[in-house]
Amino acid sequence: MIKVKNIFNNFKRYWFLMTQLISRDFKVKYKRSVLGVVWSLLYPILMMAVMAVVFSQMFKFKVEGINYLVYLMTGIIMFNYFSEASNAAMTSVVDNFSLINKVYIPKYIFPIAKCLFVGINFVLTLIPWLGVIALSYVGLGEYVCHFNIYYLLLPYIFFCMLLFTVGIGLLLSCISVFLRDMFYIYGIIITIWNYLTPVFYSVEILPESLQKIMQFNPLYQFFTATRSIVLSAQRPSFTTLIVLGAIGVGTFLIGGIIFRKKQDKFIYYV
Amino acid sequence: MINIQNVSMKFNLGIEKDFSFKQAFVDFFSGKKKKKNEDFWALKNVSFSVGKGEVVGLIGSNGAGKSTLLKVVSGVMKPTKGKVTVNGAISPMIELGAGFDGNLTARENIYLNGAILGYSKKFLDSKFDEIVEFSELRDFLEVPVKNFSSGMTAKLAFSIATIVEPEILIVDEILSVGDIKFQEKSKKKMMDMIKGGTTVLYVSHSLESIKDLCTKVVWLEHGKVIKIGDPKKICDEYYKEQMK
Repeated sequence: MIKVKNIFNNFKRYWFLMTQLISRDFKVKYKRSVLGVVWSLLYPILMMAVMAVVFSQMFKFKVEGINYLVYLMTGIIMFNYFSEASNAAMTSVVDNFSLINKVYIPKYIFPIAKCLFVGINFVLTLIPWLGVIALSYVGLGEYVCHFNIYYLLLPYIFFCMLLFTVGIGLLLSCISVFLRDMFYIYGIIITIWNYLTPVFYSVEILPESLQKIMQFNPLYQFFTATRSIVLSAQRPSFTTLIVLGAIGVGTFLIGGIIFRKKQDKFIYYV
Repeated sequence: MINIQNVSMKFNLGIEKDFSFKQAFVDFFSGKKKKKNEDFWALKNVSFSVGKGEVVGLIGSNGAGKSTLLKVVSGVMKPTKGKVTVNGAISPMIELGAGFDGNLTARENIYLNGAILGYSKKFLDSKFDEIVEFSELRDFLEVPVKNFSSGMTAKLAFSIATIVEPEILIVDEILSVGDIKFQEKSKKKMMDMIKGGTTVLYVSHSLESIKDLCTKVVWLEHGKVIKIGDPKKICDEYYKEQMK
């Protein structure tokens, strides 16, 4: 119990540093770009437009009975969050070695700050996302997506995904300290993961056996819960909601514990 | 205030060498046994304590373990063996300006660097003007730090690092910062802090300033403590030894 309290106090003490790191990332990201923060809004729409043209016009992709544009965009923004945040978190510890080597700072701050920074960006991309959903009322993408009460569950789902991402980020940043090859390995993994997750296709086109395996893909669970609310106004079952929470908290704890165990050794691998 | 008990610090020189598949492949076929990792002890059984208000100087040739000892005390590294107990807030000035982001302006960097040193937002708000005043950089507040000269960067860093009145100050050779005017100013500031009852651990190669400032000197060589005691006596002995 005392340990938990210590961790909490430490976190509170360094919260200001966390906000500073996040605002630094923001300032540096948009410095010298003319449109600045507008890019966060524009980027997902343009990405969606490109992929929509490629998949629905060229490959004739279609998911029966639902709005494919919204389906696609939901997948894109959620997957982008995960891949961007986990990548940034992975490099964060190694990138800040010069600091870690000189001043005492709790090292978990760096991956968590990255996940939160990309998270704020993710929240911004929800604006154009909601815009596209609203436009479905005036005929964008054949089927109408109705706003409904279950939208209140979305913050919970996104929060679980954040915890999941932080857990993975902590794990990756820890591994990459000892094995720099991880940067490249993860690049491959994330590409494979992208295709194994139904971002632009529907899980129904897969053979039965693969569909079963898909259940073990955490991202698929997050995507499906979100899509069932947005596309068909259906509440995910309670079991699903609990599973999402367990995935988030579980991954977070595993990542955190491993990171904590190994962090004193980081200094030897500078 | 600071109690260092039998502290040893081991670096594994073997793991510093990059592992590569090529090397592993070559080793495998040439039948060479994997070399045993060479252990390197940067500190061996170092013990001493620093009382409240004491100014302790660390001397020794390059690679004697002075900086490693400072890092162990400030918590950057955990000792392999032994124990370090510290009572009180530490302000590390091991390297100035670690954590500046060149893309940010001086104003933004004051907050970022302050946060890294563990200051709170309220504290920084209240001391902001004092920091700017001391650094003499008021006209450059909105300039990105990457466009600063190295002297200007050092001045800013010194001003941020010394704004607190820490109970324990850890200094690694930083008194020669900026132009002559600023050097005098920073020296005076350090003296004020030392006279104000701050406990100081001070590493320097300038025996003059050690004799000037310190109340006790620890002489390290190859990670071991050679002598502890009166600054003047030990500095003279050290000088003789080095000049032999």
